[in-house]
This record gives sequence, structure tokens and C-alpha cells, in this order.
Amino acid sequence: MISGKRSAEVGSTIPAKRPRPTEDSLELENEDDVIPPSPPDTSYVPRSATINFSALTRKLAENKRADDDVPMLNPTSFDIHRRQQDKLISHIFMDQDFSWLHLKPDHQSRPLWISPEDGHIILEAFSPIAEQAQDFLTAISEPVSRPAMIHEYKLTSYSLYAAVSVGLQTDDIIEVLNRLSKVPVPDTIVAFIRGCTLSYGKVKLVLKHNKYFVESSHPETLQLLLKDRLIREARIITTQTDNSIKAATFTTSKAPTRGNLVIPGTEKKKDDDGKTGPQNGAPSDADLFSSVVGVDADEIEEDDDNVHAFQIKDDKIDEVKKRCNELEYPMLEEYDFRNDTVNANLDIDLKPATVIRPYQETSLSKMFGNGRARSGIIVLPCGAGKTLVGITAACTIKKSCLVLCTSSVSVMQWKQQFMQWSNVTDRQIAVFTADQKEKFAGESGIVVSTYSMVANTHNRSHESKKMMEFLTSREWGFILLDEVHVVPAAMFRRVVTTIKAHSKLGLTATLVREDDKIADLNYMIGPKLYEANWMDLAAKGHIANVQCAEVWCPMTPEFYHEYLKEQSRKRMLLYCMNPNKFQSCQFLIKYHEDRGDKIIVFSDNVFALEAYARRLGKLYIHGGVGQVERMLVLSKFQHDPRVNTIFLSKVGDTSIDLPEATCLIQISSHFGSRRQEAQRLGRILRAKRRNDEGFNAFFYSLVSKDTQEMFYSTKRQQFLIDQGYAFKVITHLDGLENLPDLVYRTQDEQIELLQSVLIANDHDADLGTDIRAVEGDLAGTVTSKDFGPMKFPAAQRTTGSLSALSGGQHMSYVEQNKSANRGIARAGPSAQSSRHKLFSKREKEKATARKEARSGGM
Amino acid sequence: MTIQKIQLYQRPSSCLAIFRLLAPIERQLIMNLLWLESAIPTSTMAAWVIREGRKMYEDALGTLGRLHILPTATGKLALNSTFKSAFRQAITGGGTSGSFGVPAPPDDKRTPTDLDTLDAFALERWETILHYMVSSGSGQAPTKPSQGVLFLLQRSGLMANHGSILQITSAGFQFLLHSPHDQLWDLLLQYLRLAEERQMDLVEVLGFIFMLSTMELGREYSTENLSGTQKAMLEDLRDYGLIWQRRPTSRRFNPTRLATTLTSSSPPLPTSTGTSSGPQEGFIILETNYRVYAYTDNALQTAVLNLFVSLKYRFPNLVVGSITRESVKKALMNGISADQIISYLITHAHPQMRKNNPLLPVTVQDQIRLWELERNRLKSQEGYLYTAFASQADYDFVLTYAKELDVVLWENAPKRCFFGSVDGHANIKGFIERRTLGTSS
Repeated sequence: MISGKRSAEVGSTIPAKRPRPTEDSLELENEDDVIPPSPPDTSYVPRSATINFSALTRKLAENKRADDDVPMLNPTSFDIHRRQQDKLISHIFMDQDFSWLHLKPDHQSRPLWISPEDGHIILEAFSPIAEQAQDFLTAISEPVSRPAMIHEYKLTSYSLYAAVSVGLQTDDIIEVLNRLSKVPVPDTIVAFIRGCTLSYGKVKLVLKHNKYFVESSHPETLQLLLKDRLIREARIITTQTDNSIKAATFTTSKAPTRGNLVIPGTEKKKDDDGKTGPQNGAPSDADLFSSVVGVDADEIEEDDDNVHAFQIKDDKIDEVKKRCNELEYPMLEEYDFRNDTVNANLDIDLKPATVIRPYQETSLSKMFGNGRARSGIIVLPCGAGKTLVGITAACTIKKSCLVLCTSSVSVMQWKQQFMQWSNVTDRQIAVFTADQKEKFAGESGIVVSTYSMVANTHNRSHESKKMMEFLTSREWGFILLDEVHVVPAAMFRRVVTTIKAHSKLGLTATLVREDDKIADLNYMIGPKLYEANWMDLAAKGHIANVQCAEVWCPMTPEFYHEYLKEQSRKRMLLYCMNPNKFQSCQFLIKYHEDRGDKIIVFSDNVFALEAYARRLGKLYIHGGVGQVERMLVLSKFQHDPRVNTIFLSKVGDTSIDLPEATCLIQISSHFGSRRQEAQRLGRILRAKRRNDEGFNAFFYSLVSKDTQEMFYSTKRQQFLIDQGYAFKVITHLDGLENLPDLVYRTQDEQIELLQSVLIANDHDADLGTDIRAVEGDLAGTVTSKDFGPMKFPAAQRTTGSLSALSGGQHMSYVEQNKSANRGIARAGPSAQSSRHKLFSKREKEKATARKEARSGGM
Repeated sequence: MTIQKIQLYQRPSSCLAIFRLLAPIERQLIMNLLWLESAIPTSTMAAWVIREGRKMYEDALGTLGRLHILPTATGKLALNSTFKSAFRQAITGGGTSGSFGVPAPPDDKRTPTDLDTLDAFALERWETILHYMVSSGSGQAPTKPSQGVLFLLQRSGLMANHGSILQITSAGFQFLLHSPHDQLWDLLLQYLRLAEERQMDLVEVLGFIFMLSTMELGREYSTENLSGTQKAMLEDLRDYGLIWQRRPTSRRFNPTRLATTLTSSSPPLPTSTGTSSGPQEGFIILETNYRVYAYTDNALQTAVLNLFVSLKYRFPNLVVGSITRESVKKALMNGISADQIISYLITHAHPQMRKNNPLLPVTVQDQIRLWELERNRLKSQEGYLYTAFASQADYDFVLTYAKELDVVLWENAPKRCFFGSVDGHANIKGFIERRTLGTSS
């Protein structure tokens, strides 16, 4: 019965069963690029594909209610009236009307509702037990929105998979849900949870003493698996005579416990806290939680249970894994690293001064909950210290470790961070990029590389080949995957299959949820182990408080006229170059510079970037800016009190670390990409000054009114809004008109600007044109900062009237806006020239005085 | 009108009801003067008033003067004698006018009607009316209120005939967002207007309404002492849910909570009618992500929310939806203003929301207002279009003149025309005439 229901409900989402389209290897990783993005709310099953169980249940419930009413002899006219009214509004909700659910009598002390239809959970965050409920819900479901008072979560098969993998049991999930819920957990949801958790997490693939074991605490499950021919053949039979399959033939051992494993950087006193699961990291709350929701430590399976296992052949592992997926018993991968004697230990530890934050500890405790390393994904906001989590995990496992990131710049950053936080020596850490191909010395070590370096299969240089052989020939204790959300599935698969690793950890800031890639990640890395609450972290001061605002800039009539006429991508250029936007940008820069803020202005469009920066006399960096100049600009921004603003193109979206920045202005962006918005916000979340009292960072998004930009802007903000951020709309900047030397004040100037936009080439309107991937970078990632050689612009043929070309129609060839970058480039080496007259005069005087004294002495 | 008021003041119940409806300072004035036998000089009273209160005091005197309770013409202050004696009677009791209604003798045959029945009846009638309004035009077929109510709704402009069906108007939508107390008085005022047209005696009508407002909830009253007009009103008031009668022909009636709270500050509708909080308590939570969570199981509240919220889930005691551009646009099209939406959300905000300052997320408030602004972007200005100038010189000449007057709103040189505001027309017209005269002569 249950399994029947299950296949109806979730059959379509079992990852292993879904035919995977082959094209997705070609597809760009940036799912947001698709315009418009997929609808925000999809139920986990296409509605048409399911038998509508809840409708059925509802009907039954209604019938029952009708039956109940029979003994009530005389339904008053009021009751009839009420019911009639109910029917009238019921149509508004279609099949989302759950008023037939029975409220529990003490519903007021319980904090949540569960929707029988799509597994939506609505939580009162102001309830006294909300914090515990949140811990529990993040473990079993996906957070949908988490603003101040009411949170929404959603049960999905993946979230349940994750729940099981961190050790929660089916019955406990249902039990706790039922205790927290105002309405009895609907049967459909119970069936769904059972269906999803029935097979998930029951089987583990464990590498012990360098032998692979299939392990389970349920012997019957193992027997079931052994009925499969392929698995049977892969088994190494230790008890020779007995071919019949019995529970007794399995190796039985004590289940693992967390024991004395201490995650480095955490307090030692946590030692005796052997509990795992939702209470972890909050021992003081644990008692309260268990008294409220009745969870005791023994809900976690490993505590006193025995586990059973059989050994399988090393070379059959992939086949067995695949087969298990097909049998809907996906194997969890756990790595018993403390008992791995074959792979050499890597002697690294966090530096004594390194302290990790509570939420980082919580996330790691999910990973090392039972003393082994689970594979999975940890989601933390930008700026919340993902890197440190990764490094701490590596220091806990203490085996050879491979770190994969998206670009060669990130590679260098990871290496540098490893050196900073841990006591790893230069000899133990190696880098593998297009330029550098190193190997570590000794038996074990760390290699940092990029996805594409490892996944690339063709056109290898000899060195790369040798390096790859080095990577594939050995067993890795731990593989760390940075920014997992941007990696295309096919590339991932190649990485995962070529590298033999015992445990994997994925790190990301934004798991954007509604696409299939999450399914792939689940299958290839593991479930999501932890997802932090942005607002919580901001409230506790781990990331900065940010005031977000959307500034509406009306289009000037001339620009709007052209905008409406224009069909091509140039429209984008028109709304980027809107003079009102220019003015707003100038005003905001002025305003925040006066406040003492350091400002980053983002523009995806390079044409606009340059135009703005030149006109406003600010420094800028985009793909075309050379390495030396770039470093100069960055250091100026960081150290020169006179340089408070820089303009960045997409190159600055990630990885450029500028903790000085406290204000961010966005003038052009990548369509409706929620991830980019979140990443850009991340640039100011780690602001140095975040712990100053009353400190606020500012995030402005300038949009031209009545253009497509408005539409995209709303889309982009969705992720942050769901995290609880509020975007204030500013329609008018007070004092803008009175700004001295306001740019493009007159209509003539505006028309001149318009002309310059109109004569710009079509490709100037493209986004992110300044970035070209080199070997080692993921195609299309915005994280890349190694720009290939700039292509020379092809010769262009344009038509125009002679009068236009000779300077009529407001066109001119005179370069009035000089790049501010040139100024500093010149000033850089010969800084003395800019010394104040007074000082140079004084110096001269000194020199002459000295000369005179010398001559006098003679 | 004056005579009618004086007639009204003959009833102690009316005096008490009116007194209860007055502002505190007005009440204070009346109480000060009530037991004075002789008039006092205006200056004596004015001496009590501090400088800051002067305005308020003047206003209060004005109101009382207009109500003919406190005529001020003589330079001395004294309550209207009719009002004074009737109000004294109302406070001290006594008299046999029966203006507070005559309780019916206890009926041994029937058990007296309990409060629950009365409340249920009042609520049903009242919600039927509102629900009919809110769901008109939605293709639903709600229970129709009686003909009298429908007529009243139509006359008051809350609903209008579209073809054969009655549909809610923008005034009606706005009406729905008001508090029940305001809604009730709105309807009763409309009723009074209607009564006037029907040549009913206004004094009788008002007197009866005031009488109801001073009656005791749960007590049965007799219809014996009612005038003809008042008896005729029974049916209408029954339809509104103000009074309850066992049978239409019954000689006794019960006022419901709707009636007895007309002049008091207690809620006109019974609270806690279901599992959720009643209409008076706040029940709406609005989040920064535009989500609306309403703790209600009340169909009417849900329907009202549906006016400007796009609803999604409904649980036994919770309705979930979100404020979207579309949902607000729909409300605006229906004639509901952004301010009305916001004030509805504020009045019904959940106690949890009260911790916030400001109460509603500013971003959402702003956005709702901005959506409203989006609708009003064209400005119209009246004026005159000047075209068909004989020559460019003519055009330039007139245009220069008009520009000097600063009345040019729009100009188009190639087409030789411009648009000037109304104010400038006389001047420009004169100028052109003079010019044409000048050239022709």
C-alpha cells in the first residue's frame, strides 16, 4: 500500500530513474540565464501526473463530517449559512483549501501547519519553541522563505534523503512533525515521508581497512540487495561454506559513534556530548527540545544498534553503486577515516588561534555526526566563511585532500587560505592549474585545482597528463568542491568518476532550487547537510546588516523614445546609459563618499562601465584592464583614502575580496539572475566594520523605470527577499537637483550621450564581454578573472551622412572623458611629482641650505 | 429641522444615545451645564479653557450649537430645555414615556431566547449582506439578502445594476474595508435618507434607532408601544440583523448585539465565532516578502482579503496569500485605494505585528503606493491648440508672445502649432486678433 502510493507520489523524482538528457553537458551552468527563469513554485510532482490523494482524502473527510452532522439533529440556520459561505470562498483556493483538516485542541501551543497537497510547512517563528522547530525543519526540509515572523519550508524527497543521511529515522520524523503540527500530519505526507525514507540511507558504502563494505543496520535490506545478481557477484564471501544468505553470515559489528572525535577549532568540552542530530551544537536546548517534541538521543540509529555488512570487490564499486540506485536503495557514503590505515595521514591542524564560529561548527557536526565523514553539501551565505568550513573539515579528516574550485584565481585564494588558517606547510600543498603543475612532497598532501583542469579529457599537455595520472592513481581521503552550484552536471560526473575519494563536501552560497541540478548534486555528492539562515547570521553579527534599496530612475524622453524604437539588445544599453541613472549614480557616490563609505559600483555592461567611470572620474577594472593596472587600482582602493569608489565589471562578482567596501551600487546586471544578486550582496556582507554599533552596509540597485530592467530586478531580488531582506524602493533622491556639477544636466548633453549610445556597436550591449575563459576556468563562469587576450575589434563598416560624420548631430570625436586609471598609472611610479608645492619648495630650500653649509664648511 | 430635533429630544433614550455619540469634551460641557438651573455667561465657561484647548472648545460649542443642544446666540450658555429635562430623566430614571422600550412580560410557554441565538442571527444577516456584496460579479451565487436590503444597497451606491445583475461598485469595495461599526452606521444613514424619501417620520425613525441602541441585550421587548412608522421599520431592521423576532407577526422583539452597541464602543459583532480570533482582534501578519498570513476561519474576512491579496492556501484557522502587483492592480481597478488597503492591514494587524515599528514593513507599504502611482501617470491640463498659422513669422511672433506669458505647454515648430493653457487664451486670442487686424488694415 505504502509503496504503491509512493510510486504514484514521488516516482517521477527518484534521481536514478529519471532519464537524463544528454544535452545538459552542453547547457550553460547558469540556470538563471534562461529567460524567463523557470516558474518559482513547482510542486515536487507535476499535478497531472499524480492521483490526487488529498482530494480523495478530503472527500472522505467531508463525507465523514457530513456523517458527524447527522446526529446533530437540527443544524441551525447559522451553521448552514456558515457552510454556504465556506463553499463560496473555497473556489479561490482551488485544491489548496485545507480547512477540512481538524485542528488539534491545543493547536495554539504548536507552531506549524503542514499542507497535505505539496508538503509545504508554515512555521510561526514567534512561537516559544520555534528555534528548536527550525533546527528540526532545516534538517528535514528545504527552507523556502525565512523573514521575521512566519517561515515556510517544503518537504521534498531530497530534503528527506538528507534528513535520513544525518541519522534521523522515519518514525521520528513523523512523530516530531506530528508533535509540532497544529493539524495531524496528513496521511499523504506520512506516506510521502515513509516512501522517501524507506530505502534512503538504509545502506551505506563504507571503506574500512581499505576494503569496501556495504553496511546496514537492517539485515533484511542486505538480503534484499544480495538477491540481485550483480551485487551478489560483486560480493567477497568470507564465510566459505555457507552460500545461503542469512543474517548470520554478515559481519556484525558495533555501530560507530562519534566517540572522541573532536572537530578542530571547537571547544574541547563538547567531548562528552555524544549526541548527534538536531540537538547537536545546542546541548543546553536539547533537554528542552526533547521535552517538548519528545526526541531523545536514542532516535539516532547508531547509538546502540549493531550494524551488518558484507564486503564487495573494489573494482565493482561503481556498478554496485549504480545498481543500488536503480533498486532505489541509494548508498550513503561514509568514510571511517580514523580506521583507515592504508592511506597515509596528513599531519595538519588548524592553527591554535583559529576559532570557528558556532554555525560553522554546527554545519561540521552534521558532517561528522557519527565519527565518520559523511558526504554532502553545506550552504552558507557569501562572506560567512565557507572556506574555513572546508579547511576545518580537511583538518578533521587528516588525509590527502583535493580541492576543486571554479577558476585559477580561486585556486590561489584557497591555497593562501589554507596557509593562513592551518599549519600546512608549503611542501604539503600543491597547485594544479594551466600555469602551475605541482605535486606535493611526501605520502599525503593537498592539491588545489579547478574543475575543468580535472574534467578535461582532451588536448592535454604532457605535464597535465602526468599530473592527471598522479591524481587518478591515488586514493583521496577527502574532496572539497567549491561553488558546487555552478558546475555542469557532466563535468561533475567526470570528476567524481575519475577521482577516487572517500568523502566529498560541496560548498555553496546559493543552492537555487527548482532545477534538476540539485538532483544531480544529491546523487553525485550527497544530500544537503546544512543551510544557514542569513537573517540569523546578520543578527548575530557574523555577516553585515545590509540595507537594500532599488532606485527608480525615470527614462528621459529622448532615451525612452529610442528605447521603444530599438528592438535589438541595444535596448539594454539604452536603459543602462539613461542620464537619470547617471545622475542617481553620481549622487549616491557623492553621498556615500561623504559619509566615509567605500563604494563598489557594479556593471555587467563594459561599455556602460567605462562610460560611467570616465565621466565620473573614478577608477575601474574590467577584463580589458591589465594585471598590473588592476593590482594598482585594487591597492589604491584598499589603502588610499582619496580613492573611495571603484567600478567593477562581472570580474568582481565573486572572489575579489574587498572587506573595505561598505556600499554597493549596481547599474547593470545579468538579467534575472538571483544568484548574481546574492553573490554581489555577498561582496559587502564581510565588511570589516560590520561589528561597529549601528553599522549598516548599503546595497543599491539602479533601475530605469518602465523598461525590462524593472521586470528583471524583481526576479533578481526574489532569493534575497525570501531570505528576509527587504528592498526599499526609492523614487526620488532628495537633493539630487542641487548637486553641484551634476552630469548631463542639460538636454543637449543628454542628446549627445544618446548619440554616443546609438553609434555604439551592437556587441557593446552584451554582458560580460570582457571575460574570456582560459584553460582551467569553467566556461561561462563569472568567477573567472584570468582574461584571455583581448580580441582586436574587427573592422566596422558604418553608414552615415556626411554631416553626421563631420560633427553635425551632436557627434564629436574629441575625447573629453579621460580614464582615471591612466592618471594613477602615471602617478604610480613617479609619485613625487604630485607632491604638494609647499613640500617640494621646502625640500629645495633644504637642499640649497645643505649645499651652502657644505660649501661654507669648505 | 429644528422642530424635528426638539421632538427627538423629548425622548430620554434619544438624548442618552446622542450624548454617547458626542466627543468627550462635548460630553463634559453638557455634564457641566446639566444641573444648572440658570444660564451662565459665556465668559465664565471660557475662563476654564486653557489657551491650547481654545480651538477644541470652540469646535465643541459649534457642534453643540448646530445640534441645538446648546444655543449660543444669547451670549449666555444654557442647555436646550427639552434636552435638559429629557436627559435628566434618562440619567435619573423615572418617567413613563417608555422611550427605552417596554419590556415584554415574561412568556411562560417559551424559553427566552439566549444570546447565542441572537448573535448567530445578527452575524448571519450581516454577513449575508456583506458576502453578497463581495461575491457579486465573481460568478458565485451567494444567498441573496431581502429585497429591501438590495434596494438600499443600490440606492446608496454601494452596488449598481449591470444589466440584470447587481454588482458591487468602487464605493462598495471601499465600504467592505471599513470596520463593522462604520459599516453599520453607513447603512443606517443611507436608511435614513431613504426613509426621508419615503415620507417616513424621521423623528420616529431616528428615535427608534436610538431606542434600540439603549436597549438591553437578551431582553425581550414588546411592540405594543411602537408607532406605526416604527412597526414598519421592524421588518427592515430584521433584515439588517439589528433585531430578532420569532415570527414576523410576533408582538415581541429582541434587539441584537448589532443594535445595542450602536452608540457604544464595544464591538458590534460577537467575538470568537469560531476557532480563530474574532474580527476585532488583529489577525493579519504581513511579511517583508509580501506574504500575508491571516489567522481566520471566517469566510467573509477571507473574501475581503481576496479583494487585494492573491490567496494560496487555506488551513482551518489560517489563510495564506501574497500581495502581488496583479492583486493590488485588481483592487485599484475596483476603486480601492492604496491607503485603504494599508489602513485595513494596519487595523487588523496581528498582535505579533504590533511589536514592529513601523507596524507594516515599509517596503511593502511603499510598493503598494507605488503600484497605485503607476496608474496615475498621465496628467491632463485643459487648454487650446493654436494651429494653421499663415506664415512662419506669424507663428514665431505669437509663440514668442505666448512664451512671455509663460502659458505654452507644448510646441511643434515643423507643424507650426502650439498648445497653450486656459489662462493664457484670452490674451493670446486678443493678441492674434489685434495682429490680424493690424496686418489687414
